[in-house]
Amino acid sequence: MEVGFIGLGLMGRPMALNLMKAGHPVSVWSRRRESMLPLLDAGARECSNAADVAARVEVVISMVADAPDVEQVALGPEGVAEGARPGLVFVDMSTIAPAAAQSIAARLADRGITMLDAPVSGGEVGAINAGLTIMVGGDAAAFEKVEPLFQAMGKTVSLIGDSGAGQVAKACNQILTGVGVAAVAEALNFARKSGVDASKVREALLGGFAYSRILENHGQRMLDRNFNPGFKAWMHQKDLRIVMEEAHRLGLALPSSAATAQMFNAMVGSGLGEDDSVAMLKLLERMSGTED
Amino acid sequence: MRVGFIGLGAMGRPMAEHLLSGGHRLAVWARRRASAEPLVPAGAVLCGSPSELAATSDVVITIVTLGSDVESVAFGEEGLAAGFAPGSVHVDMSTISPALARALAERYAAQGVAWLDAPVSGGDVAARDAALAIMVGGDVETLERVRPLLSCLGKRIVHVGPAGAGQVAKACNQMVMVATIQACAEAMHLANAHRVDPAAVRAALMGGSAASRVLEVFGGRMVERDFVAGVQARLHHKDFGILLNEAVRLGTPLPVAAQVGQQLNALMASGWGADDTASLLKVLERVRPGDRPVA
Repeated sequence: MEVGFIGLGLMGRPMALNLMKAGHPVSVWSRRRESMLPLLDAGARECSNAADVAARVEVVISMVADAPDVEQVALGPEGVAEGARPGLVFVDMSTIAPAAAQSIAARLADRGITMLDAPVSGGEVGAINAGLTIMVGGDAAAFEKVEPLFQAMGKTVSLIGDSGAGQVAKACNQILTGVGVAAVAEALNFARKSGVDASKVREALLGGFAYSRILENHGQRMLDRNFNPGFKAWMHQKDLRIVMEEAHRLGLALPSSAATAQMFNAMVGSGLGEDDSVAMLKLLERMSGTED
Repeated sequence: MRVGFIGLGAMGRPMAEHLLSGGHRLAVWARRRASAEPLVPAGAVLCGSPSELAATSDVVITIVTLGSDVESVAFGEEGLAAGFAPGSVHVDMSTISPALARALAERYAAQGVAWLDAPVSGGDVAARDAALAIMVGGDVETLERVRPLLSCLGKRIVHVGPAGAGQVAKACNQMVMVATIQACAEAMHLANAHRVDPAAVRAALMGGSAASRVLEVFGGRMVERDFVAGVQARLHHKDFGILLNEAVRLGTPLPVAAQVGQQLNALMASGWGADDTASLLKVLERVRPGDRPVA
């Protein structure tokens, strides 16, 4: 299947490479030409803008930072809508607000383009290993058409529901991972301040009901004091902003998420934004006087 | 001074009346003509559009609900900006985001029109008594020009800083006030859970360090179980949305405000948005109805 890919950052680059490995011809475009180079070296076709990409392919995938970027790629000047052939499927794999995804999908539908929202979980490692979890919202027929592409990039691929449903699932994912990272950081900091070996606590807990992927992976990185991203704290802050704005709009109480979102605010405001989310531990250490 | 006024709601209406009785020539405009008409017998002149209002005014005061309302009244079709002569002043007394206030000030500056953000605190009671607290952002000189008007509306007029600073002060005001309403609700709820008379608790507290205007007014409404507005809770909910978003942008942790925001979300979900914010007590009682006092 002829595929276009826009957004060749930390996540997008390995995802596009995996599509090529699976035998799909990939056309790319990026504002900064140097982000395209690794793909061009691997045999991708270079395009001059998003409309040019759309004109050559059946499916365009975008993986960018936030809703205004998706809007620009899809509907802006020289955007996907300007170049699309009839029947094009536009797949946005960025994390944006469900309401924004629905609005962009509706405007694309007016111009004969089907949009799927298909945000991912699994981070850079998942992107490289083609092990992403992909949560999809939108038309079932379009999903079936694109599914082979999803399988080339991810392991767990689910159609959740109508347009926006993928982003709702991603928001739920970010609630669990955000609050989870905070809980693990608090537990390990608690152990340490109590004079107990935090690594032994983690090991013991992995055998019980407190087991989680986050305790296993993120917990280990906290113990190793490895704060390199991974998933940057400012990105988690952005994702929780989306969650909290939706909660405000819906009239929904999310007290634990709200508390965690404030911790991410504090991280970004105190220079930890470029660190991995596991640097939540450093913030707690500052707050409770357990710094090295 | 020729004064224009837009936003004749629960707050704006008595404010406009004070300006009239202060001897100022007043022009008014309202989207629904019916809300402006009651002011005509008192001497107000009815205008057909914001631009027409601006063209016949030296100073225009607005007090509306949303930032998008202020934006469309100012720069929408037939907006104020289309009618203002250079040297005119737009005093916006609505509660909007500091960022929007700064942006509007900048757009006006390009055409030689001055801007003040001058949000108020005190509610409809203070609006009726001309006792509002007014927090002002913008040029000091501009504030001095319009001070005679603001003096008709409130007693405490504080210049906080440049454009947007008034809205920052208002955000701080809302944060302290609603967090205190929540604290009062929790205190009343705790008293009820102990089967202790909340009215007696409130009376005792009013003599000590926990005394506050909020405990007096909102605590009083909780004791009386009078949840009719007052201040419509949906407006506080709106304000918390603004200030928590700004906190994300600034990287500022506001842990208590974030929790209060969740209680306000729950209040909205219960359908009490048009009731007074004292309804935060009912949000707590909804989780544990057994603690509600016997009627």
